Amino acid sequence: MTALPALALNDVSIRYGSFVAVERLSFQVQRGEMFGLLGPNGSGKSSTLMAIAGVLEPFAGSIRIEGLARHEAPETYAHRLGFVPQEIALYEELTAFDNLALFGSLYGLSGHHLHDRVSEALTRVGMLARARERVGRFSGGMKRRINLACALLHRPTVLLLDEPTVALDPASRDSLFVTLDELREQGQAIVLTTHHLDEAESFCDRVGILRQGKLVALGRPADLVRATRNDALLYGHLAQHVDAQQQQSLRERLAATGVDLEVTGKRVRLSARDHEALGQALAVLLTEGMELESFRTPPVRLERLFRNPVPSTKEVA
Amino acid sequence: MNRLHLVWTLARKDGHLFLADRRAAILSFVVPIVLASAFGLIFHRPSERMGVVRLPLLVVDEDHSPLSRHVIDDLRQSEQVDLQQVDRSTAEARIADRSCGVAVVLPRGFGQMTWTHTLTPQGRPHVELLHHPLSAMESQWAEGVLTEIVLRRMARDQANVLPGTSVPMHLDRPFRLARILCPQDSQQRFNAYSHSFSGMTLQYLLFWGMESGLLFLRERHCGIWRRFLAAPVPIWTMLAGRALATAWIAVLQVLTTFAFGHLVFGVRVDGSWLGFLMLVSAVGLLAAAIGLLVATLGGTEARARNVCILAILAISLLGGLWLPMFLLPRWVQELSLSLPTTWAMRGLDCATWEGGSLAQMLPSVLMVFAFAGLFLSAALARFLWMEARQRRGWTS
Repeated sequence: MTALPALALNDVSIRYGSFVAVERLSFQVQRGEMFGLLGPNGSGKSSTLMAIAGVLEPFAGSIRIEGLARHEAPETYAHRLGFVPQEIALYEELTAFDNLALFGSLYGLSGHHLHDRVSEALTRVGMLARARERVGRFSGGMKRRINLACALLHRPTVLLLDEPTVALDPASRDSLFVTLDELREQGQAIVLTTHHLDEAESFCDRVGILRQGKLVALGRPADLVRATRNDALLYGHLAQHVDAQQQQSLRERLAATGVDLEVTGKRVRLSARDHEALGQALAVLLTEGMELESFRTPPVRLERLFRNPVPSTKEVA
Repeated sequence: MNRLHLVWTLARKDGHLFLADRRAAILSFVVPIVLASAFGLIFHRPSERMGVVRLPLLVVDEDHSPLSRHVIDDLRQSEQVDLQQVDRSTAEARIADRSCGVAVVLPRGFGQMTWTHTLTPQGRPHVELLHHPLSAMESQWAEGVLTEIVLRRMARDQANVLPGTSVPMHLDRPFRLARILCPQDSQQRFNAYSHSFSGMTLQYLLFWGMESGLLFLRERHCGIWRRFLAAPVPIWTMLAGRALATAWIAVLQVLTTFAFGHLVFGVRVDGSWLGFLMLVSAVGLLAAAIGLLVATLGGTEARARNVCILAILAISLLGGLWLPMFLLPRWVQELSLSLPTTWAMRGLDCATWEGGSLAQMLPSVLMVFAFAGLFLSAALARFLWMEARQRRGWTS
């Protein structure tokens, strides 16, 4: 008998009125796995996390934690879940200890048991020495750590973090990921959203890329990069402005050969399935009188997928 | 010049922020208009209708003489009073329950009053003016009207029956007047501070309820709320927790204020302590309920604040927290019975200087609890509805 996944989303759709924020999203996360949910702003990452947390109700589909859906046993479901919102969700007037004690008590912890868990969580995020200070006096990085600690008190199976590294300096970011690594090693399933693709590439076991509410890529970062290794990308700077009509005409012409063209002012971006197609596209630009002052072709990294993902939602092995 | 431009730019930014919540902006103009109009409506006395405003007055005729009957007829025809003739026990009961503020008792021997008697104080009849401690101004009004009518009646009836006698040049009131407070033992207990401490404490509690409700509204729009929603906490408990905290802080505020009033101004709880504590609990719950109701109905914080201020000022005035009720028109007095502040104020007066028993306070206690329960139920229903919509993504 195979173990149930820590988290399983099956055909989940989320709507705000008539607007579809997430459409038929499916993925699974295992215990001891760190899963990164990537995508541009408005792609549906935070909505997905809020639906998993039970803050939003999916329009369709199912979300299960170790096989349990929220509607089957809301309290048990909530106990299996730790949620770290994007904002600092703390009472600034209270001390770090009091904040944790409050959120711990919401999960049924009390007495010395609560005290021990609060101390344990504060130790884990390196804030035990500041336990009795008001949160309002802490730096942004310290608040983020307390924000995380609040979600660890009840030892959840799945830990959800919405943009946990926003506004963190590199040292604080590294410290956070050290903590998350420890939690992963202890068997927690971690799902985080981030804009920092390098950290997703470095720390996540697998990533899913969302675009306009649809999952357009899913797999291990290295595999996704490998799957697109033949892709070619060029960033350039035009010698002169190109009018909108000419841009449109060129875009249509290049699209027929599988090349995407984006022009912003004098900046140009070409994306092709391989270098041969990219060379042909460059030739078209030159024949149209669009001279490039400079250009570069960046190395293949996850960032490329972010903008031009693999056109398939199938998991890359 | 650049600095001036900066000032203008910053001012324009604040203007845009003000207008960003259109409904709140509209309310900030509408609220003062509504308040001013409502207060005007309550206190406006058009000059052509000045004579129509009448003092509710009870009269007891213990003399049954032609003079007492004539005086009563004259009072009845007066445009200054709205007269009702009753017996003495009814008059005392009605003043005690504040359905009327003043009663005039025309004693036996009133009809024997003559101009000759007026010259000797010992011969003057002893008219009693029964009034509630809160109706001192009304009693002075009644005294003036009665004096004028008696003098006129005597001048008409008796000046021509004394041939060769002229009306004395230094005309004095032909009767002696005794002011008697009702209920009778209230004279010892009445303390003007009792009334003001009750009224102002109640009003402050309503503002405290508003602040608590607004804090709740603010909390709902930040990450802490999402953390609560993700936790194994039923939604209704969040509202109940807020109500409980607001209520017990309100109770502490009332007790502290009255303790200060007792130590410094001699405010006392002469009535049932159990009734007083029950009423204070009910009032605390009422403050929480009003705050939460406005928070759930208000939408944004700015809108909720405007609506709340309007509601608090209106029910404070109409509930008699600012002014004695007799200064308000009769329709307002009748309307005020449908407000929780009226019952709370009555209850506190009863508990303090009126020295009411638990049974006497019970109607007020029950009414305040009923209002608090009603408002809390409405807030809870609205809150659950809003949360369900938000959870389903119907509102962002």
